[in-house]
Amino acid sequence: MALRTTVGTRRYIVNRVVQTLIIWFLIVTLNFIIFRIMPGDPRASIIEQGMPPELRQAIVERFGLDKTLLEQYVLYIVALFQGDMGFSFSHFTEPVWETIFGFRFTNTFVLMGASMLVAIIIGMVMGVVAAARRGSKIDTGSTVVFLVAYSMPVFWIGLLILLYLGFNFGLIPLAGTITRGVEHANFIEYAADYLHHMIGPWIVLTLSFIGGFYLIMRDSVLDVFTQDYILAAEAKGLKERTILYGHAMRNAMLPMISVIAVNMPFLISGATMTEFVFSWSGLGLLTYDSVLAADYPVLQGVFLFLATITVISNFIADMLYLRLDPRITY
Amino acid sequence: MAILEVENLKTHYYIGDKPVYAVDDVSFTIDRNETLGLAGESGCGKTTTAYSILRILPANGKIVEGSVKLDGEDLVTKSMEEMRKIRWKKASIVFQYAMNAFNPVLRIGRQIVEVIQEKEGGSEQAAALTVAGLFEEVGLEPSRIDDYPHEFSGGMLQRAIIAQALSCDPRLIIADEPVTALDVIVQNKILDLLRKLQAKYNLAVLFITHDLSVVAENCTQVGIMYAGNLMELGSATSVFKESLHPYTYKLIGAFPSVTGPKRRLEFIPGTPPNLMKPPPGCTFHPRCPYAQDICSKELPKFEEISNGHYARCHFAGQLEFGGEE
Repeated sequence: MALRTTVGTRRYIVNRVVQTLIIWFLIVTLNFIIFRIMPGDPRASIIEQGMPPELRQAIVERFGLDKTLLEQYVLYIVALFQGDMGFSFSHFTEPVWETIFGFRFTNTFVLMGASMLVAIIIGMVMGVVAAARRGSKIDTGSTVVFLVAYSMPVFWIGLLILLYLGFNFGLIPLAGTITRGVEHANFIEYAADYLHHMIGPWIVLTLSFIGGFYLIMRDSVLDVFTQDYILAAEAKGLKERTILYGHAMRNAMLPMISVIAVNMPFLISGATMTEFVFSWSGLGLLTYDSVLAADYPVLQGVFLFLATITVISNFIADMLYLRLDPRITY
Repeated sequence: MAILEVENLKTHYYIGDKPVYAVDDVSFTIDRNETLGLAGESGCGKTTTAYSILRILPANGKIVEGSVKLDGEDLVTKSMEEMRKIRWKKASIVFQYAMNAFNPVLRIGRQIVEVIQEKEGGSEQAAALTVAGLFEEVGLEPSRIDDYPHEFSGGMLQRAIIAQALSCDPRLIIADEPVTALDVIVQNKILDLLRKLQAKYNLAVLFITHDLSVVAENCTQVGIMYAGNLMELGSATSVFKESLHPYTYKLIGAFPSVTGPKRRLEFIPGTPPNLMKPPPGCTFHPRCPYAQDICSKELPKFEEISNGHYARCHFAGQLEFGGEE
């Protein structure tokens, strides 16, 4: 079934697209300004003490830092639409696009995607089960376990996992995304090595994500249970499975969608601390390193990408609402 | 044999360990093609009686005594799984708030098809055909099957609810204030529809309401409840014209008559008792103008006073209620 395409709905979708574009453009501008008004001189990070004046001048011109703010802005926008996000200061003047999307994006996306997917599925199923058995051992047990996991600092669990699973028992590697210096015979071997490295950060992130999804789902289902149509479904003598997954879960999904949409940017920004602890070379670690190195072009690129994903996932969430709740029409 | 036989039903809710005597010793029977109107103030146990029959009480509600026989089978001793299978096949319920009785995000037809398929099996097409037929029967366009609940008006929803209630050929329909949320014109149409369908399918109907005019118009039998007790039970004419219980008399007298002579409306001083601590003896005695010593000491028995006319009052049949109407 497609979206209900009444005239009002179509107008709403068009409005929402225009809105999304405007917001995105505002963010691009804001993103540009923030790095220009930050204290500190970005030039300081590339220009070193003993450089001859001509070289300094050349570097400043190379990065366009001698131009006025407005000129820089126009240049930035024009270049951006050509897919050019400038050059990194610290990564041997590598293009920012390359720095972000070369391999770091993939690393973060795979790790975060796997953790979030598992966390969402477990969180939702357990949330429904706990709500259906409210006050039972399953309910109290999983609430306590997930809450504890949710509130533990990720770097601490990360270190514990590294210490026990990695150092003491040697079950997982201590750092990186693949074993260095090993020639992988084929893709499967490479993937196996990669996944082996991913176990540690994956456990940490999944544990830290489940709690949020679980609590929202449990709450949402409990709320749905108080609705008259659930009593009606019971009176009809429907199977418990039908009531839970056919009636309660679908209605309880609505708040979940917002929560998932809000969490989407993490897919990109990564979990800085987890990536740091496991030396997982992704965007979170990149952000951390770039802040230390005052690598403004890279930071600007990461933030822009993040903002783009945020805006897009919110747009998708709104469209999903339209699809899932027939009462919403415009 | 009667389709529904309720005997000495006692249902209590538990708040902590303390019982709330929501339904205390209620007995009645409903035959095929018969409508029993259960009337009383809010909180007197009407809905709890209905939920006890289908056993869809909330988790803290328990049937502590009595039996509910549907077609001769005792429902109280059934397991929840057996009950689940009986629901809708043998007895269905029409809820008060039709607006909320359908899941808002699923199509109405789909929801009725769902229950038919789970109860009767068969293909989705066959079930959809049944639904279309039912829609026609209750006066809805079969083409509206694919609508969502919010696209229906209140009256249409109530019709759809009735169609749903009929979908698995039940013997008994419990109508829990089915028309309370509707305006009088629509009320009338829905009540007509219910009567028509009842005659056609030989249904037994338990009709719960606090609107005595609806009872008078629709029901062959009437039960008056107060504070969890069934106070009076009998044919509609005898209960209305020859009330045996002071509460019934006062309740009926509290309704102004449109056609009859002008008279002072009756009123009942005080408030219904807290059902966690019902008064000793007759639950109505603190508010009863005819109360004697015995009323506060002994709970009167529910007795047949005249043919088919029962009351729970020490002085049933002996009281003269302020002359003629």
